[in-house]
Amino acid sequence: MTKIEAIIRTSKLDAVKDALHEIGVEGMTVLEVRGHGRQKGHTEFYRGQEYTVDLIPKTKLELVLADELVEKAVQAIANAARTGKIGDGKIFLSRVDDAIRIRNEERGETAL
Amino acid sequence: MATALLSSELRELYNSESARIQQDFAASGDGCQAVLRRARLLDQVITRLYEKLLSPEAGATGNFVLAAIGGYGRSWLFPYSDVDLLFLHAGRETETQLKDGIRSFSQELWDLGIKLSPASRTLAECDRFDPNNVESLIALLDCRYLAGNRELFTQLRDRVVPRMVTRESQAIVQRLVEITRSRHAKQGDTVFHLEPNVKDAPGGLRDYNVANWLALIAALDKLQNWPERETLLPASMRRQVNAGLEFLTSVRCFLHFRHSRDDNTLSWSAQDEAAARRIGVSSEHELTAAGWMRLYFQHARGVHRIGLQLLDEVPAAWSSLYRQFQTWRSRISTPEFSVVHGMVFLQQAAALQDPETLLRLFHFVAHHGVKLSTTTEQRIEQALPAIAATPPRGAELWIYLQEILLQPHAAEALRAMHALRFLTLVLPELKAIDTLVVRDFYHRFTVDEHTFLAIEALHRLKPSPSEWDQRYAALLSELEQPELLYLAILLHDIGKGAAGSDHVTAGLEIAAHCLERLDLEPQDRETVCFLIAHHLAMSAALRRDIFDPETVGAFAEMVKSPERLKMLCLLTYADIKAVNPEALTPWKAENIWQLYIETANHMSLSLDQRLHEGSEDEDQILRMLSPVAGKKLKGFLEGLPRRYLATCAAKDVLAHVEMAARLKSDPVQVALERGRHWFDLTVVTPDRPMLFAKMTGVLAAWGMSIVKANAFSNAAGVVVDTFHFTDRFRTLELNLPEWDRFKRSIADVLNGRADLDKMLRDRLRPGREPAARTKIETRLDFNDTSSSRCTVLQIIAQDRPGLLFRVSSALSREKCNIEIALIDTEGEMAIDVFYLTSKGQKLTADQEKGLRKALEEELQEI
Repeated sequence: MTKIEAIIRTSKLDAVKDALHEIGVEGMTVLEVRGHGRQKGHTEFYRGQEYTVDLIPKTKLELVLADELVEKAVQAIANAARTGKIGDGKIFLSRVDDAIRIRNEERGETAL
Repeated sequence: MATALLSSELRELYNSESARIQQDFAASGDGCQAVLRRARLLDQVITRLYEKLLSPEAGATGNFVLAAIGGYGRSWLFPYSDVDLLFLHAGRETETQLKDGIRSFSQELWDLGIKLSPASRTLAECDRFDPNNVESLIALLDCRYLAGNRELFTQLRDRVVPRMVTRESQAIVQRLVEITRSRHAKQGDTVFHLEPNVKDAPGGLRDYNVANWLALIAALDKLQNWPERETLLPASMRRQVNAGLEFLTSVRCFLHFRHSRDDNTLSWSAQDEAAARRIGVSSEHELTAAGWMRLYFQHARGVHRIGLQLLDEVPAAWSSLYRQFQTWRSRISTPEFSVVHGMVFLQQAAALQDPETLLRLFHFVAHHGVKLSTTTEQRIEQALPAIAATPPRGAELWIYLQEILLQPHAAEALRAMHALRFLTLVLPELKAIDTLVVRDFYHRFTVDEHTFLAIEALHRLKPSPSEWDQRYAALLSELEQPELLYLAILLHDIGKGAAGSDHVTAGLEIAAHCLERLDLEPQDRETVCFLIAHHLAMSAALRRDIFDPETVGAFAEMVKSPERLKMLCLLTYADIKAVNPEALTPWKAENIWQLYIETANHMSLSLDQRLHEGSEDEDQILRMLSPVAGKKLKGFLEGLPRRYLATCAAKDVLAHVEMAARLKSDPVQVALERGRHWFDLTVVTPDRPMLFAKMTGVLAAWGMSIVKANAFSNAAGVVVDTFHFTDRFRTLELNLPEWDRFKRSIADVLNGRADLDKMLRDRLRPGREPAARTKIETRLDFNDTSSSRCTVLQIIAQDRPGLLFRVSSALSREKCNIEIALIDTEGEMAIDVFYLTSKGQKLTADQEKGLRKALEEELQEI
């Protein structure tokens, strides 16, 4: 099992969700996050005052998938979230040892 | 062996009787019977066990008593509540002797499945006050004899407890108030939860108990002895509170049986079932879940109101600090209303026959944040039927309502008006959302309470220490007509009470009637309707890429004017904040602010888009105006920027058209009006060099301080300049004849008949003005990309008399033509945006350099 963590533009959330549903991914966790990558935010001026936006609001998706689905899901996320401009986000993958469904204590991939 | 026999006998008794209680409740729905019978059953079980294990007959000491305390002491025992028991010893030695006996006694009860909450204490320990554990002392207020040494119990109940309460009443009450207030705060300080906890939420059973304890402590303190329980609360309160107690008791019993544990949350599925079974309701009518919840809120509101009143009144009797505060408060009394202990009383009871007195009363509440006394509430209830025959309406109502909405405690006043059914009397449109539960995953409160919370959220911005709140507070203070925003909030979810899924469209229809009845000015009506119609637009825009200029452009296009943008931004902020306490994350606050500043900047940088055919809104305005203004209108509007129509009301446009038509006979048309916040000056005249500079010069010479200004010109070279200014020396305010002289001096200067320099020489002498309180750095920003025809210059500078005159003179000297000017002031900061051309072109880099230097010198000099 692999955990996918994807940080994307908030405006792309619906597109990414649809793309994931299409390939059969059902569950995911969506978080409101703030952060910056290499672009390091920017400064806005409003009425002479500077507003530094050093942490840019983004959306983070977390999902754990059976290994054979992972590559498809990564492609789906990347394709749906891409604008080609700086700030499109990142996808991280990591191994997951086990999964437990709290209701009935099913374990492993069946719990996903 | 004997104990084992008893155990099985008791188990049989306990289980069968418990089952019977549950069956009877299922049949009758009578919660009071159920809790009383359960307490009796426990009495039986406990005394039997006592006889077997702890009585002198069983070989135990006689210096011991078993007492019921807390809810069990009150004989008010819910099916799955803890059973509070006190093992009271005369001294340490009995405690040691009985240790094993008490252990087996408790074990037996546990084995029966009874959740025991035991306390073992000596009489001397009960006499010791522990400020950190006031709860255990409060539990003793309800102590009841079960078994054992009666003499010992009498000592506890008639000597120790009353003595302790009289000695420590102040500390006990203070702590009780603290605990209660913090419990209320955890529950958002409101009764109106979508899924309330019937025990702990404000207006729940706990509040009923707190009210009783406060009254009991006050009476004990006064009588030095136990008062009659039944007459503790005044008769007027008792009726309401007892009805509430019966209802809430049945509901809590229902929840315990339903969940088979001490779970007091009235979830949506529980609400459906309670409505279907008509829990707590005597009538045979069918009830929807929403209808049943209305009954719940009605009872909880009554209990909460009385609880709050006692929370205020009882501590007042002791605390000297509190008394001082209240004395200060009573100084706010007026000939109409007096304030005693933070409660408002009417000076003349009959006065309420006049609905205006009632409106003034709520204004008083909204202004001072005081509560209505019970007598005042009763008087209002009595007066309402007469007022209902001819309720206040139209402009008369709106004048009072807007004043109420603008006061810092508006939400409290609205809640009081709503609780007394006065709010729905004057605004019947709100009936549909009265304690309305709309089920979704985000909202935590009923629709009406959500509305009041949103209004409260705006009023709480200013005193809030949060950085976000401060930013939005600044925005709120800039609004020209905040009352329209508050009214829009009051009506924004009004459509949720209507059938159908689109609450915005339904709400607009209902609001239209309401606004008509309030007789609002047409442009004000339009603003309120705009806000209701688009109250979700900003949240929707946040789901798109707010860093994308297209999103921002489209959003700006929809909002049109900066004033509306500010209002919509504040409405969105307040609306989200009132959904639930966690809804407004820093993530959302940041996003809203980001979209706001991007849009505000976009608006001031895209001012020079010209009017063009085809935009729906503009077509509509033109169609509306053309029968009146005819051909003159089309010629006049030709070439004016779109911003002109977005910022001017239809009646102003018509006035400008008329002024333009008169230019042939008099080339300088001047109109002066006194607005709500400042004077409004409009000048319509053919364009000429130095025009804007001269006008600002005349205003400076008269000592007027320009707050806002717009300068627009059409294709025929007719200029429409509007100035909003304050009259610092009250020249116009105090001398009506000066109005004409003022207008004439503008015309004279523009026509070259008066010497502006001479007028200015005296006025602008240095050193005459008070020093600035905040220092504002001068900033000059040139932008060549946002407009296709002009160079946009933004100037931020310390505001001071004559500033705009100096700036615009410098612009003229540098041969810049002002195509559009947008002047704004915030506190001591002047924010001026100019769209400049030179010989019909954008400025060259050299021209910009020269202009920057000239302006820097000019601004430094002052």
